[in-house]
Amino acid sequence: SINVLIVVNRVYQVVLRPTLACPVSTRGYKGEASDDSRGDLIEIPLPPWTEKDGETMDMKRRRLLFQSRKRGMLENCILLSLFAKKYLNTMSETQLRQYDRLINEPSNDWDIYYWATEAQPVPNVYAGEIMDLLKEFTKNKDQEQRLDAPNLEYLDKGSQ
Amino acid sequence: MMAGVSRILIRRLSSSQSLPPSVRCCSRNFHFNINGKRDDAKVSNDISQYPVVDHHFDAVVVGAGGAGLRAAFGLSEAGFNTACVTKLFPTRSHTVAAQGGINAALGNMEADDWRWHFYDTVKGSDWLGDQDAIHYMTEQAPASVVELENFGMPFSRTEDGKIYQRAFGGQSLKFGKGGQAHRCCCVADRTGHSLLHTLYGRSLRFDTSYFVEYFALDLLMEDGECKGVIAFCMEDGSIHRFRSKNTVIATGGYGRTYFSCTSAHTSTGDGNAMVTRAGLPCQDLEFVQFHPTGIYGAGCLITEGCRGEGGILINSEGERFMERYAPNAKDLASRDVVSRSMTIEIREGRGCGPEKDHVYLQLHHLPPQQLAVRLPGISETAMIFAGVEVTKEPIPVLPTVHYNMGGVPTNYKGQVITHVGGEDKVVPGLYACGEAACASVHGANRLGANSLLDLVVFGRACALTIAETGTPGEKLSPLKPNAGEESVANLDKIRFAEGTIRTSEIRLNMQKTMQNHAAVFRTGDLLKEGCDKMDAIYQSMEDIKTFDRGIVWNTDLVESLELQNLMLNAVQTIHSAEARKESRGAHAREDYQDRMDELDYAKPLAGQEKKSFDQHWRKHTLSTVDIKTGKVTLGYRPVIDRSLDQEECSAIPPAIRSY
Repeated sequence: SINVLIVVNRVYQVVLRPTLACPVSTRGYKGEASDDSRGDLIEIPLPPWTEKDGETMDMKRRRLLFQSRKRGMLENCILLSLFAKKYLNTMSETQLRQYDRLINEPSNDWDIYYWATEAQPVPNVYAGEIMDLLKEFTKNKDQEQRLDAPNLEYLDKGSQ
Repeated sequence: MMAGVSRILIRRLSSSQSLPPSVRCCSRNFHFNINGKRDDAKVSNDISQYPVVDHHFDAVVVGAGGAGLRAAFGLSEAGFNTACVTKLFPTRSHTVAAQGGINAALGNMEADDWRWHFYDTVKGSDWLGDQDAIHYMTEQAPASVVELENFGMPFSRTEDGKIYQRAFGGQSLKFGKGGQAHRCCCVADRTGHSLLHTLYGRSLRFDTSYFVEYFALDLLMEDGECKGVIAFCMEDGSIHRFRSKNTVIATGGYGRTYFSCTSAHTSTGDGNAMVTRAGLPCQDLEFVQFHPTGIYGAGCLITEGCRGEGGILINSEGERFMERYAPNAKDLASRDVVSRSMTIEIREGRGCGPEKDHVYLQLHHLPPQQLAVRLPGISETAMIFAGVEVTKEPIPVLPTVHYNMGGVPTNYKGQVITHVGGEDKVVPGLYACGEAACASVHGANRLGANSLLDLVVFGRACALTIAETGTPGEKLSPLKPNAGEESVANLDKIRFAEGTIRTSEIRLNMQKTMQNHAAVFRTGDLLKEGCDKMDAIYQSMEDIKTFDRGIVWNTDLVESLELQNLMLNAVQTIHSAEARKESRGAHAREDYQDRMDELDYAKPLAGQEKKSFDQHWRKHTLSTVDIKTGKVTLGYRPVIDRSLDQEECSAIPPAIRSY
């Protein structure tokens, strides 16, 4: 009867979700998903991320540029470097700090990809203006081809 | 308004350097003034333009991916004061992309034997792998996985509570005669991430010192011995010399030499280049693994599962061309067959798109519900990176660089070797592990799920070998006071480079040349033309133009240094490929379609005469580069055909490789 309850619960959860999305259990991106106890994340906590002190906004932008372009997997390299090209130089201080936290605190780069593509719900700590911008940007409503991370020369206005 | 803001930003950026104003416009001549040791190192900047900090450690690991972290953890656990120098935060290393798993003959799903895994790997390597290293890796595999489990990696379980193992390509039972083996252990779909998280977390408890966002420039070599690494800190532009008796290179692969690769933009072959600049050889760089379906341009991997669900590859004429190349398996033929077929279609003019340079993966004939449920990630990736709606349009795909079998040559203990006078000779003080190394366990072709295993086993092997041959707290031999000066001179030169060709242009030239001349399709004329083009592109580095003159968080500078590293990997790769006149594993030539071993293993061996070493190709390529001229010199060393213990595990004699 417990199994029946679990099945009923799962069906209920599936029904509540929008039709095109997938079942609630953790969806694997590549390959089959199987239960993830996340024991390593619970029992081996890493030192908490902290904001950098005494950094000018300029330096923050420069640091975040590097950290947007150099990620753990290609999908994030392309997505975040294009996002940085569009938004980084005009972010306000609050937005910069939100972005800093979003791309530097999560330990699994895939999580950022899943939140941006709305494959998984965004944890409350990362929800906000920047996350919304990123989700919208990721949708690629203009269907532009995103073949690669952009070259840096867009920053070299001095020669144009 | 955007342009105005950016112009102000650039002016502010270029003035916010951390150098005293009087020094900023100095000539390019400078020298070091070192003053400091250990962790509370003093920084000197009164004469030198770049403050230099000296550190002393028992061991230095360059790279914090799976292999680097395993080595750093092992060394710290053994009591060695260890530094780990990395350009990325550890959990952001490319290992995090790995979602497959780790092969180990635990025998949880069916009876298994590590000797069968050994056989699969030797055969998969097309008999270019060194069997002593393969023996070591496959025998250590079960213990390594159990060890990781004990460290806290939450492997997926069966209902009995044993580690769940799944099937993976190329893994068989009973030396290929017993059907599919199930030996891939995983942590849901985040095995790579879990590995990094666990090892990083554990290593911190043993006081490993992490130098994150430090870019390693070069090895500090003296009299043929490695005495440490010189790196620069991106956060404040300071130079750091990490002096140590033991240096471990774990810097990953170099997929970024190609226009289309599945690797992150961090895979720039930094370690291979450091070794090359130190005058040491790299091994087997011509062996580059291609995955048939990466998104055209972006290179993001489209899983083989798509074709498993009924997806098909089509050319510009709308034809399902795999029916011609593999009438039975069709789109599910083995990876190298599919890759080569796609390439032939493109070369014969039936490619798609405005430049006719890719083919299409068609999924829109499948029911949309099936796509959504069975292949959820694909729809998103296709929309995001190709602007394609998979229920309506096909995805442009191309065989994509996926892995580098070649790298820094080591023995099975992880010690870097050279080949002198016909003998392997250990380079004192230098070790390598992971994709950066070439032990060689993958030989001419890597099997899936063997790569994470490689990281863990050889990361551990480096730590064990160092612990065996040294003791913590050993006094360091003296080092020349100006060691590393050349590296800083190079950094300075690149930082102020005022040529006429931008970094991005040179990089694109290199990537397109490698893609056109040294990709899946290889033939003599094409390779030769590519070699000449690459040599010219190498020379063009003299005319490089950078635009960011700052020293703090200068991404332009880092990407230009990475380009220098990529360039060294590229020239060695293409020259080695041009010289190797046979087809073996991932290196497939249209003009030399067969393997050229010392004996013809397709025929009965009795009565055959063994070819001499220089008349056959079952040997490792060793390549070096003259940094100034870009000239590549090639040499060869024999494959190790004996296992570590002939009684425990017989070596597998070469045979024809068919599945």
